Amino acid sequence: MQVVYAALIFALSLPGVALAQESTGDPLEGMNRAVFAFNDAVDKVALEPLARGYRAVTPRPVRGGVSNVLANLRAPVTLANDILQAEPGRAGTTAGRFWINTTLGLVGVFDVARRMGLEPHSEDFGQTLGKWGLESGPYLVLPLLGPSSLRDATGRIVDAGFDPINYASFDGDDATRATRTVLTVVSGRESALEAVENVRSNSIDPYVSVRSSYLLLRQSAVQNGQTNVQDLPDFEEMPDQPESTPNEPEGSPS
Amino acid sequence: MSDATTRRTLLILPFLALAAPNAIAADAAAEQYVERNLRLVLDTLSDKALTVEARAARFRQLMQQFADVPRVSNFVLGRYSAQLRQDPALTRDWQAAFTDYAVAVYQDQLDQFRGQQMRITGSIDRTPGRDVIVRSEITPRGSTRPLPVQWRILKSGANWKIADVSLVLDGSEIWLAQQQQRDFLAALDRNKGDIRALIAIVKQQTATMRTRIANRR
Repeated sequence: MQVVYAALIFALSLPGVALAQESTGDPLEGMNRAVFAFNDAVDKVALEPLARGYRAVTPRPVRGGVSNVLANLRAPVTLANDILQAEPGRAGTTAGRFWINTTLGLVGVFDVARRMGLEPHSEDFGQTLGKWGLESGPYLVLPLLGPSSLRDATGRIVDAGFDPINYASFDGDDATRATRTVLTVVSGRESALEAVENVRSNSIDPYVSVRSSYLLLRQSAVQNGQTNVQDLPDFEEMPDQPESTPNEPEGSPS
Repeated sequence: MSDATTRRTLLILPFLALAAPNAIAADAAAEQYVERNLRLVLDTLSDKALTVEARAARFRQLMQQFADVPRVSNFVLGRYSAQLRQDPALTRDWQAAFTDYAVAVYQDQLDQFRGQQMRITGSIDRTPGRDVIVRSEITPRGSTRPLPVQWRILKSGANWKIADVSLVLDGSEIWLAQQQQRDFLAALDRNKGDIRALIAIVKQQTATMRTRIANRR
């Protein structure tokens, strides 16, 4: 998901510099918008064309395989954070998926574990800090990396330490790290092509839409997507609404 | 069961046993309501016999029946919605602009599911009989993986109406009305709370979306 966020932020821009807004959790909005515009320029010149080219020359199953391998390589980071969040069930799922996909799935090319009922999930240290009760802090747009927050940006540094490929020494280690980085960026941007186009076309302010999406999705991610329905906001009843409409939809139960 | 299957099952059993249980169904009537009406909407979007204009008109009619657009239009204004209570003309203009915008947004969003199969997977009560979250799965066109979509339906008078929709992306959910509220509040903050200014912005965005939808066909 981090990759999708990064791709979104790369692709979007908004002219002008806005005032700081404490109420939206974005006291650094002026600076963030400038970085957002920079990321957008980089995207338009380099990343989006690269992603479209990647889509044009690779069949869907190949792209799926690349995405699966990259997700599998990230399993140690997710596993470490599952454990730090005291989630033995999810840690078991992550370990099981890594073991099955690395062996039966041919180094992760095929997501065999999903077919066995082990659904994937992703964790990072930003989520772990959230689970421990730390608020997200100010919203940040990071150069080339996209939307984040003070908490999540700190988490990225810790996650780098959980990833053995970042410091393991083996034949071709530098080339492996470089290849993974390039593939992560291109594959992530390719998978976000439609989402980015959608935000560009349908948002009244793409910067704000990315910010609100990021903050809401991260809030949900900290809760592992298990929102307590009682925490959902109330919708005030409109006093002037008619009791019923003359042309009711099918199957309105009473 | 073959030996290979038995071995495979035994291999994953410890991990399956640790997996969290899913929520159970709560409101069969609400589930049926969403299933019937969503199917009607998806069928309308894929009806090749309709012209672009006729499809848009039919979709608008269904949305106004199926969704509680006035209630959502009030919700998305957040703290600024108090202005509506003192100004019926502003209320009328805002509801008209928001309805056009919401119809365009949902037509654009649901278009990726037109003609696709959907499945209700359960529901959970927030307030029994009045406020229910119905869970479904729909597979977008060109994808083999179903996307979890949740529908928050509220009793409006004697009838159910949709108030919000959530998509579950990589295990994290986002409720669209909540996101719209944040977007509109930011625009209102920038315009000193002027809802007329927001109406102008929303109308302009609706026109852009309408062009996009028409060009896609």
